[in-house]
Order: sequence, then C-alpha cells, then structure tokens
Amino acid sequence: MATIGAPPEVAPATPLTRRRRFGDRAFRWTTLVVSVGLVVMLALLLWVLADGGWRAIREFGLHFVIGREWNPVAGREVYGALPFIFGTFVTAIIAMVLAMPVGVGVALFLNESGSVWIKNPLAVLVDLLAAIPSVVYGLWGLYVLVPLFDHTVQPWLSASVGKVPVIGGLFQYAGPGGDLFTAGVILAIMILPIVTAVSREVVSVVSTETREGAIALGATRYETIRLGVLPTARPGIVGAGMLGLGRALGETIAVALVVGNSTNISASLFKPGYTIPAVIANEFREATSAGLHRSALLFLALLLVVIALGMATMSRFLVRRTARLVGDDVAAQEEAASSTLGMA
Amino acid sequence: MRIHRFARPAVIAAAAVTLVAAACGNTSSSSASASGGSNTGGFQGTALNGAGSTFAAPLYQLWSQSFLQKEPDAQINYQAIGSGGGIEQFTSQTVDFGASDVPLQSDEITNLPSSNYIQFPTALGAVVFAYNLQGVDSGLKLDGKTTADIFLGNITKWNDPAITSQNPGVNLPDEPIQVVHRSDESGTTSVWTSWLSAESPEWSSKVGADKAVQWPVGTGGNGNEGVAAGISQTEGAAGYLSYDFAVTAGLGIADIQAPDGSYVAPSIDSISKAGGGLKFPIQSDTNILNSSTKGAYPVASTTYVLVYTDQTDEAKAQTLVDFWTWALTDGQSQTEQINYSPLPSDFATSALKEVSKITVNGTPVSPTSSTG
Amino acid sequence: MSTMEMPREISTRRRTKDRAFSIALWACVVVALVPLLLIVYRVVRLGLAAVSISLFTHTALPASFPGGGMKQAFLGTAMIVGIAVLISIPLGVLTGIYLSEYGSGRVAGVVRFTAEILLSIPSIVAGAFIWALVVVALGNFSALAAGIALTVLMWPIMARATEEVLRLVPTELREGALALGYPRWRVIVRVVLPTAGAGVFTAIMLAVARGLGETAPVLLTALGNDFVNTNPLKPTDAVPLRVYNYAQSAYPAWRALAWGGALMLLVGVLVLSVTARMLSIRQQRRMR
Repeated sequence: MATIGAPPEVAPATPLTRRRRFGDRAFRWTTLVVSVGLVVMLALLLWVLADGGWRAIREFGLHFVIGREWNPVAGREVYGALPFIFGTFVTAIIAMVLAMPVGVGVALFLNESGSVWIKNPLAVLVDLLAAIPSVVYGLWGLYVLVPLFDHTVQPWLSASVGKVPVIGGLFQYAGPGGDLFTAGVILAIMILPIVTAVSREVVSVVSTETREGAIALGATRYETIRLGVLPTARPGIVGAGMLGLGRALGETIAVALVVGNSTNISASLFKPGYTIPAVIANEFREATSAGLHRSALLFLALLLVVIALGMATMSRFLVRRTARLVGDDVAAQEEAASSTLGMA
Repeated sequence: MRIHRFARPAVIAAAAVTLVAAACGNTSSSSASASGGSNTGGFQGTALNGAGSTFAAPLYQLWSQSFLQKEPDAQINYQAIGSGGGIEQFTSQTVDFGASDVPLQSDEITNLPSSNYIQFPTALGAVVFAYNLQGVDSGLKLDGKTTADIFLGNITKWNDPAITSQNPGVNLPDEPIQVVHRSDESGTTSVWTSWLSAESPEWSSKVGADKAVQWPVGTGGNGNEGVAAGISQTEGAAGYLSYDFAVTAGLGIADIQAPDGSYVAPSIDSISKAGGGLKFPIQSDTNILNSSTKGAYPVASTTYVLVYTDQTDEAKAQTLVDFWTWALTDGQSQTEQINYSPLPSDFATSALKEVSKITVNGTPVSPTSSTG
Repeated sequence: MSTMEMPREISTRRRTKDRAFSIALWACVVVALVPLLLIVYRVVRLGLAAVSISLFTHTALPASFPGGGMKQAFLGTAMIVGIAVLISIPLGVLTGIYLSEYGSGRVAGVVRFTAEILLSIPSIVAGAFIWALVVVALGNFSALAAGIALTVLMWPIMARATEEVLRLVPTELREGALALGYPRWRVIVRVVLPTAGAGVFTAIMLAVARGLGETAPVLLTALGNDFVNTNPLKPTDAVPLRVYNYAQSAYPAWRALAWGGALMLLVGVLVLSVTARMLSIRQQRRMR
C-alpha cells in the first residue's frame, strides 16, 4: 500500500454542477488535442519531407535509388543515392553482427545473475553507454578508434582473414583514414545498450515461466536458456535487433566523423564510404534550393525516416508478440513500453 | 494552480538560465548604443552573420576580432561551411554576406533573388599540395601532370618514377599515397580541379573542374580544416589545401611547376606575384592560375565576398560598409601574419569602389570616418 | 549465480557446455564494458587538460589567439535546451496525462503507437523537418528553430515517460478522491500528478539529457555563432555543435577545446541520467 501522506488540501466537494462538468470536459479536450498534435506532427514531418523531396524523385525516378553517381554541381546535377544506401546498410549490418551476440549475452547475464552487487551496477553501466552523446562517440572514434584500426586491427585482419577466398575480399586493407568497418564498430557500441535493454526485458518475461519447467526436467542452465528461453524469446530478441538496427540506420554525427566520406562503392569494408545521415549532415547547408540538391537530400531524409519508423513498428510488434506468447498481455505491453522508454 | 511539484522548479530553472544568458550577453549586446569601446562615441557597429569559404575563414575570423577594436558592437559571426554553402545561404538571404573562392557561375546568378549585389575580392591565397611524409620536408617538386595522376589514382606510390625523376636525391619511400579531398562543396576544390584540368587532359575529361567532383580515389574531409586534419593524422597522406592551413598544420608543401618550367614554392611573395593576373570586372571564369609573371605560384587564387547592395537595415549596412572598407585598407596589413597575401593595391581600390555601391533604403552608405 | 540445483546425473559433456556458456556470457559483459571504460578514460584525461575556468568565461577566438573558450556555446545550449524544455514539457506531460488517464480508446492507441515509434526518429530528420518549417519561414537560422527541432525528439520521450509514471499511481488513490466528490480533472492535477511528481521530474531529466547532446538537429537549424547571442531568433552556438566543428579542425588548441566540451557534455548527460535513474528507483519503491 503506497504511503503518500495526507491528501492535498482542496476545497470541499461540490455537487456535479455544470461548471464542474465543463472543467472536466475542457481538461480532457485539452489533453486530447495536444496528444493528437503529436500524431499531426508526425504526419506533418512526413508531408514536409515528401513535399520537399518529390522533385528529385520525379526527375530521377528509380535511378535515384540505383544510380551510383552523385554530383550536386549546378548545371551537371546527377543524383544517384546507391553509395549512401549501400553504406548505410553495410555499417548497420556490421553493427548488428557485432552488437546482437554481445547484447543478448549481456541480457542473459543480467537475467541470470542472482547477485545484486553485479547486476545493478552492470545495468547502470550499460545504460551509461546509451547516454553518451553521439558527438563524443565521434570524437573518440576519430582520434582513438580510427588510428587503432588503421595501424593495428585492419592490417592484421587483412593479412589473416583477407587471404581467405571469397570473403577475404571484404577485408582488404586500404590505408589509413575513416572507413565503413570503423563506422560499423562505433555503431555497434552505440546500439549495444538498446539491444541489451530490450533483450533483457524479453528474456526476463519468458524465463520465469520456462525455468521452473526446465529445472523440473533436470536441464542445465545452458540447456534451459538454449532450448527453453531463447526459442520463445526469439521474436522479442529479433524485435530488439530491429530497434537496434533502426538506431544504427539513423545515427549521424559519430558516423560522419569516421566513415571516410567517399561516394565510391567497393568490396572492401576497410575502404571509405558514406551513409545517408552523413551525407545529409555534410551537404545540407550548402544544398541549393533552386536546383535539385536540396530536394534530393530531403527525399533521402524521407527514405531514412520511413525505414527507421518501419523498423520501430516491426520491433514493437515482435516484442509484444513474445510477451503475449508467454501469456501475459498487460505485462507484455508494460514490458515493451518500459524497455523502449529506458533507452530514451 | 499547482501542476506538479517538480515541473515548476524545472521551468524556473530554465527561465533563470535564459535570463542569466541574457544578462551575460548584454555585456556584449548587439544594440547600437554606446557601450564604451575604444571608439569614442561614434558608430558602434552591430552584429552580422556571414558564411562560406573555409579557405578565407582564418582571415575573416582574424579581421572580425581586430575590427572589434574599431566598432565594439560589430560582432561579425563567420561560419565556415564551404563556398557552396556561402553561395546558397547568400541566395536564400539567411546571412548578411556570403564568401566564396570562386566567382558566381551563370546558374547561380540566375538563382539569385536580386541582381543588386556586389562581388569583390578580399585577399590572395593559394592552394597547395600538402603531404605528411616522414623524412621528406617541404619542397617536393611536382608538375601538373604528375599531380593529376596522383589524384586520378594512376600514381599510387611515393617512389613512383614520375615523382622520383623530378626529385633526384630525395629519399621517397615505397609507400602508398593516401589521397585526401573535400567532402563538401568547396571553392578550394574548384580552384584545384581547374588547375588540374588545365594541366591534364585525362583529368579534364574524366573528372573535370568544379566545387565538387567525383573523386576517383581518396577519403573526404569537411572543409580545409578537415583535409588538414586528415593529412596530418596519416603518415603518407597527401591532399590539396589552402596555403595558410598547410603552414599552420605543419605539413610538407610541394613546389609546383610553373608554365615556364621552373618550380615555384608557395609563399606570400610568389602568391602576390600571381595577383597581377586579376581582372575587373569579376566574371564567372576569373582566375589567377598559371600566371605568366616570373616567380608567380601557379595555383594562386583569390576569395570573394558577396553582398546585396539594396540593404534595408541601417545599422547592418553601415557595419558592412565599415568592416569591408577597413578590411580592404588597414586589414590588408594583417594578411601576411597568417600566410595570406594582400590584394595588389589597384585591385583593393577597385574592390572599394564596389563596396561604395552599398545603399540603405536607396541612400548610398559611406564609411564611418575613423576615430582611431 | 543462480541457485538452481543440478541433479547428480549430468554428464561431463553437458556440464562443460554449461561452463563454456557461462564463460561466454562473462566475455560478452567484458566486451560490452571495455569501450565504455576506454571512452570515459580518454574523454576525462584529455578533457580535464582543457577544462579551466576560461572554457566558461571566454568566447571563441581564432585559433591563432590563445585563451579561447566556449562560453557562447554553453549559453547557447542553455537557451536552446531551455526553449525545447519550455515547449516539450507541457506538451509531453499533457500527452502523458491523456494516455494514462483517458487512454483506453482507439485514438489513444494511435497516439501511443506514434509516441513509441517517434522515439526512434533519426535526429537528422528532425533537423531537416524543422529547417524546412521554421528556418525557411523565419528567413534565418535561430535558437528557436533548434529548440523546436529538439522538441520533436523530446516530446515523445516526455509523453511516454509521463504515461509510465502516472500509471504507477495506484487506482485506489484516484477512486478515493473521486469518491470524495472531486472532479476528474482535479483528481488528476491535484492528486495523481503530485504523487507521481518525482517521476515526472525524472522524465524531464531524461528528455533534457537527450536534448543536451544532440548535434544533428542543431547543425541544420542554428548555424552556430562565435559570439554570445541572446536573441532566440538569431544564429546561436551550442556545445555539441562547437565540439563537432572543433573536432574536425587542424588546430591543436581547438581540438583540445573539443575534448573539454566533450567532457562537459559527458558530465552533464551522465549526471542527469544517473540522477533520473536513482529518482526513478526511489519513486518505484514508493509506489510498490
């Protein structure tokens, strides 16, 4: 029973006068209008971007998405966004490949750990990773990670994995400077907290149910998790991944500082590249409104937000699905809500 | 009505911070009232915003600081977003003046909302080939074709015969050349690629000259500073850079072959010599590349300022006129200390003539007479 | 770790797998923590070297002048975030109230869904949106535009956090107050909200922590300024923006300032996050 102290001092109760009902209605309507305003804002955002961007897509059509040449100079404008689309997905995939196993591992660890002394500080530390501003990641990435990778990691990987046929082509050392791989690693660090947090919520909802059954059947912890928890939790974990992917796709500043800013597409991950958010950040203020440059960038922004919001929607659906599988609808909604909130 | 306990303190805190900010700001506010500077009661200036060329940024920021002695309220905020950005913001009239290393091109002129503008040069500078190579000091000799081949990716190593043949006795390592270029629309890029196009037919047909091009090789940096940072952090890196940035970053600077075959190192002197090629009025293709003057640096350039002549704000118009008049007269003596070259005096005079065209509400604006 | 009893008949192979799995989980934890420690260490080390009182008392100077600082950036961030807070708190709290107190219909469902997915909006998109709306309308870059761009990001956070916190207030409290005859709106404003007060404050802190560190929206809307600006309708500087610019510069003096600014950002954001977390734990304990 919550203790709240004495109730606040208010005027004595009045009968249900018309004035009171008006007060109720006015208040309710105010909150309603403001809340609908949020939806209107999203609609307005999509409309403004579409309105700004449609000239570019009308001019270039499909070529906008599959063309490789991006030339903003007046009189010779060509906008093919494939380098940015390619770079965005490649860096996001690298981030996912690195962050998902680690994130789910940490989530499982946090869930399994009985010791409060380890669990709580660890959870706080992982959340701190989420709080670090993107520009700080970028600054650190530029002056610590890039030189480290350029002088140590990439040459080593190029000499080892780079020699393997087929996939070796991905790991050809291309000299110092920013590149897709470094951007992917920075993104992995940045999305780790959200993957961990959502996975943790999902796994905790599932495992209480299956644990007891598994213990009764004599399973080890590993078996409980692998055979009991993970299969049921899988939709939710995929949802965690999608939320992480959405964040990775939209991350701008840290990536802009370490990705190398090159519009060339090449096989090696160690070569400089470009992403959609990075090109918008770099070119937006110089983009002419008379030509198609600004329109092209606005269309890219629209593309980006549609993908990111689409990922968030899918994630929401998947995370709730897992909880619903476990059988508790209300808890499902609450868990899903608080997990995404915890990452705000 | 009590909404909730903690929101009110938060709101008060936010308001308080804003008030504190206002209070602090008022000590250097942008009002035109006298606030007691070294200027005894004359026009105190007002805040201006300018944006554009990163090439000119160190110079304009220096001038802006120095000009505060003359007009203490003239806070001239210059943001270096690249020549392309300068032209765009000037076109959309979100800044009081734009700055570009390249004159307006015909498409850009048609996009302007008004044909009442002036475009005048402010100083001379140069674009240099800067490199970070251990054991190799400044003075590496390069001709146009070799340089173009480096940026084309045809030459990939420092000890390539094309380079070693021009530099006997220099110990060039068997290392790859890491090319750094610009990732934003840049006047510096325009100057450099114009020169490369003149020197190399292959470059001219494959890449061309403009504020932004499709670079065959290399990584991109934002602004001259981004390229300087990129080169200085990477052993074996090289790129094109404005002269002052290369000197400040302590990078190696190459001697470039002039049309007469001699190799010229960029210096305030050799850059000034190239200034003789500047012609008025400023056209879209005005440039001072490959000057025929003996001893002139081949890749010299000037940088321009764009201002609308039909101003409506008196304080701003006066500050614009005062600042640029000062910059074209007294300010020219400050250029050399940060590795720019002053304009040849007859061109400074022509530029001043342009500045005199600025009017406010129809009336021409004359500079405030100096009080000290 | 767990207190699960293992039956004696587990084969060595199964036990080894279990052991290996535990080690793998520990490895994940280490991998997750190493970057955090590296980043914090580097930022603290290089940032402390650059942090002195002049960082806060001096404005930006050209790199050739010694003694420059970031005063205009700190004040600018205060103004921009202040504007964002003034707009997004009322909007967010009212939305949260709606979702929590009146939120069972289809409209509420749509609003809730919107708020949740808006948590994932890329911040550069918020910047582009507000540029097109506010910067174009006003005719210049401004702190107001930057503040509105941050509101786009902070409103959903405030809304969802407020809803969460209000939901935790026991229904008995509402029912009791209603039974005493108070009108619904008064119950919410005078009983529910104050009870959840600390939680709402937590929500504000989380939102501010997010807004404080955002560079991309400010990049497209505020332009930046080397001088202190007190007019919300004019270009203004901000700490993340200044750090972003200085980080890419070639001057050691400016780069040092970048680390100093980064450290201040880190401190600010961490203090807010940790305080919010502690307050929220206390609040939850009060509610349960």
